[in-house]
Amino acid sequence: MLIFLAKRAFFMILTMLAVSLLVFLLLEVNGSAVAVKVLGPYSSDEQRHLWLEAHGYFAPWYERYFAWLGRMASGDFGDSLRFKTPVAAVLWPRLANTAILAAFVFALMVPVSVVLGVLAGMREGSATDRSISILSIITTSVPEFASATFLSFLFVLVLKWLPGTSGMNQGFDPLQLVMPVLVLVLYDFGYITRMMRASMAEVMQSPYIRTAVLKGIPYRRVIMRHALRNALIAPFTVIVLQINWLLSGVIVVEAFFGYKGFGALLLEASLNQDIYLIQACAMVSVFVAVATQTIADVGYTYLNPRIRFT
Amino acid sequence: MNIKDLGKVHVAIPKLAEDLRDGRVDRREFLRTSVLLGLAIPTAYSMASLLTGEPLMPQALAQETPRKGGTLRLGIFVMDASDPAIYDWSEKGNSARQLIEPLVQVGTDNLAQPHLAEKWQASEDVKTWTLYLRKDVKWSNGDAFNADDVIATFTRWLDSKTGSSNQGRFSGLTVKDGDTVKMAPNALEKVDANTVRFNFTNAMLSFPESLGDYPALITHRDFATKHEANLIKNPIGTGPFNLKEYVVGQRAVYTKKADYWGGEPYVDELQFIDLGADPAAELAALSSGQVDLLYKLDPNLLPGYQANPTIKIYDKDTAIVGVARMRVTEKPFDNKKVRQALQACVDHDRLLQLAYQGLGTPGQDFHVAPIHPEYTDLGPLKQDYDKAKKLLAEAGYPNGLDIEINCVDDPKWEGQIAVVLSEMMKPAGINLKVNVLPGGTYWDRWTKWPFSVTQWTTRPLGVQVLDVAYRKGAAWNENGYDNPEFEALLNQAQATIDVPKRKEIMKKIEQILQDDAISIIPFWLKIYTASSDKVQGFAYHFAREMYLHRVWLSA
Repeated sequence: MLIFLAKRAFFMILTMLAVSLLVFLLLEVNGSAVAVKVLGPYSSDEQRHLWLEAHGYFAPWYERYFAWLGRMASGDFGDSLRFKTPVAAVLWPRLANTAILAAFVFALMVPVSVVLGVLAGMREGSATDRSISILSIITTSVPEFASATFLSFLFVLVLKWLPGTSGMNQGFDPLQLVMPVLVLVLYDFGYITRMMRASMAEVMQSPYIRTAVLKGIPYRRVIMRHALRNALIAPFTVIVLQINWLLSGVIVVEAFFGYKGFGALLLEASLNQDIYLIQACAMVSVFVAVATQTIADVGYTYLNPRIRFT
Repeated sequence: MNIKDLGKVHVAIPKLAEDLRDGRVDRREFLRTSVLLGLAIPTAYSMASLLTGEPLMPQALAQETPRKGGTLRLGIFVMDASDPAIYDWSEKGNSARQLIEPLVQVGTDNLAQPHLAEKWQASEDVKTWTLYLRKDVKWSNGDAFNADDVIATFTRWLDSKTGSSNQGRFSGLTVKDGDTVKMAPNALEKVDANTVRFNFTNAMLSFPESLGDYPALITHRDFATKHEANLIKNPIGTGPFNLKEYVVGQRAVYTKKADYWGGEPYVDELQFIDLGADPAAELAALSSGQVDLLYKLDPNLLPGYQANPTIKIYDKDTAIVGVARMRVTEKPFDNKKVRQALQACVDHDRLLQLAYQGLGTPGQDFHVAPIHPEYTDLGPLKQDYDKAKKLLAEAGYPNGLDIEINCVDDPKWEGQIAVVLSEMMKPAGINLKVNVLPGGTYWDRWTKWPFSVTQWTTRPLGVQVLDVAYRKGAAWNENGYDNPEFEALLNQAQATIDVPKRKEIMKKIEQILQDDAISIIPFWLKIYTASSDKVQGFAYHFAREMYLHRVWLSA
C-alpha cells in the first residue's frame, strides 16, 4: 500500500512538473511580451529593457525556469497585472468562493443522483427506470449556458423570484447561490445517476443478490445491505472526479451569474492577459486535477475488496 | 455684446457669427467653435439665439424637482485604477472621474465645455492657448486647486518614463532628448496662480477636446512625488465624490462630497458593481434590481431590455468603428486596384444589418464620421461586382485572389464584419480567409497585419484620428499610409478656424482617403445602455463617460 501511494505521489509530481514547464514555456519565454503586458502598450523600449533587466529576464531560460518553479512552489505567484496585488491575495478567496459553490452542489447532487440511480437500477427496464433515464439524459444534454439562460428567463425575468446575478456584493446571500447551484446540479446529476444506475443494474444481476433474494431476505434489506455497497464502488470514482470539474470547469456558470469564483477569475485573467495570474490558475487547476485523480484511485482500491495490497 | 466685441475673445469669432447669421454654419457648429475659441457658453448660446432668432435653449421638458438621497448602483468593470496617466480602458477613467476631473469636459452634446478651466483663449495661429482655472476649487485634503497642479500633471504625462498616452495627445508640447521625450522647456508657463499658458509647436485646434479625453484627468501636484502614484491609496481629488472602498474585480463605493464646487451631488452614495465579462449578467442584474444603471449593454440582448417596461434604454451615435484596413506596403494590397476591387464588393447597408443588426450608420470608406462637425456626406457607395472583377483582372489577378483577414474574437461584431466581408467577396472570385485571434495576440501585432479589422474609438473631432493614425511614420499608422498631399491638407485643416473653409478642406481629405482606397469603413456604431425607471437626469455620453453628480433617484 505504501509503495502504491508513493508511486501515485511520484506520478502526481511528475505530471505537475511537465505541466509547469509547458506553462512556463508558453507564457514566459518571450520576455519582451511580458514587459509589454506589465508596463502597458505606451511604454518605451528603454523602460521595457530596464524592467526586463531588473526582473532577470536576460538569464538563460532554464535558470529562469528553476527560479520561477521555486517561487511557485513556495506560494509566491508574483503580482497580478489586473488587480495590482499579489496573485495569492485574489486567488485563495476566489478559490474559497468556488469551494462554497461546489460544496452546495455536492450536497444536493450526490444524494439526489445516488437515490435516483439506485431506484432506476433496482428494476432495470421498469417505468421508474425509463423516466429517470430519460430525464437524466435530457438534463445532461442541455449545456449550462442554455439552461442558465432558460432558468434565468423563468425565475429572474418572468417570475422575479430570484436575484439575477450572484456577485455577493452586500455580503453572503444564500438566495444568490440558488441559480448557479441549480444550473450545475441540473447539468451534472444525470451523469452520476446514469453511472449509479449502470452499476446498480450490474450488481442486481449477480448471483449473490439472487441468492439473497431466494434466501427470503426482505427486498429492502437486500438493496441496502448487499447491493448498495458494491454498487457504489464504481460511481465513487466518478463522483470524486466531479470535484475537479466543479473547481475549474464552471467558468461558464460563474461568468453567467457574475459569481466571483475561480472560474470567473481564470476568464478575467485570460481576457486581461494577466500572465502571472493565468500561470497560478493553471497550476492550481492542474493540482486539483491530479489530486482528485489520486484520491479517486486510492479510494477505489480501498473500497474495492478485490484489490488489496498486502 | 455685438459682433465686433466678440473679436476681443478671438479674431475668428466675428466671421463665425456672420457665417451663422447668413446660414453658412449651423447653430451647433457655431456653439462648438466659438466655445472652443474661448467664448463663455452662456454668451455663445445667447449670441446664437440672437443671430438665428431661435429660442435660447432647446425647450426643456417638464421635469420633477430632483430628489436628494439614496444609493446609485452602477454595473461596470471595476479595474485597477491606480495611475490615471496610464489608463487604457474607459472604465478606469470612469472609476477615477468621480474623484478627479478634467480641465475640459466634452459634454453629451459633443461640445467642449469648461470644467476645471473656467475659460480659455487661443492665439490667432491656434498654437498658444491660455487656460484660466477656476478659483473656487479645493482638493479633498484642503489644498486649493491651482496652476501648479496642472503643470505637475502635464510634466508627468509628457515624460516618456511615465508611459502615458497623453504624451502623444499633446506631442506639440514635447521635446526629444536622446532616447527619451519630455516636456519642452517653455511649453507650459505659469502666468499667475490660476492661469497657465500652453505653447505648442503646432496648430492645435483640438486642444480643448483633447483635454476632455478620458486619461486627461488632473491629479494633485504632489501625486507621484510626495505621495505614491496611486489614486486608490491616496484618493485626493477635486471631484464630486470621496472614495470609501475599492476592490478590483468586485466593487467601488463612493460617498458624496457635500461642498463639491459644482453643487452638492444628489445621491448620497455611489456603488460600482463589477458584473464580470458575461453580458447576460448585465441584463439579469438590472432586471432583478441588483443595479440601477449599466455602463453598457450588449445590443444582441436589446430585445430582452425592451421587453421590460420598467427599463429605460439610452442610445448614442458615435464614431466607434471597426476599420477593415489594408496595409499598403504589403502584397497584394500595395496595388490600389486590388484595394478598390475589395471595396467594390461591399454593400455597406447589408454589412451593417448582418454584423450589427442595423444599429448604426453605414460608412463611406473614409475615417470621418457623421457625428464629426467637419463631416461632409460624399454619398453612399454601391456594390459592383463587374467593377471588382475588372479591377482585379487589371491588377493581374484575372482568376481571383486568395487573401486573409485578421480580427479579434471580442467584441463579436468585429469578427462578424470579417465574416460578412468574406461572403461578400466570394462572387468576385476573392477567397477571403477569416482569422479570428484572441485580443492579446491581435493587439501585439495590430499595426503589422496586411489586412485586418481594428476598432477605433470615438473622438469629438474628425481631425483627431486622422492626426494619430494616417500621418507617415505615426505609431498608430496601421495602414502604412504615406500621402504628402493628404498631410498638407490635414495641417491646413488643423490650423483653420473658419468653419466653412475647414469643412471644404476636410471634404478634399475625405475624397483623397476614399480614392486611395486604403480601408473599408463598414459602419459607425450606435451604443446603448439602460437603467431602471427610477434613475433620472442621466444622459449617455458618446465615449461612455459617466457624470453622475446630477443623477438622482425618484422615490
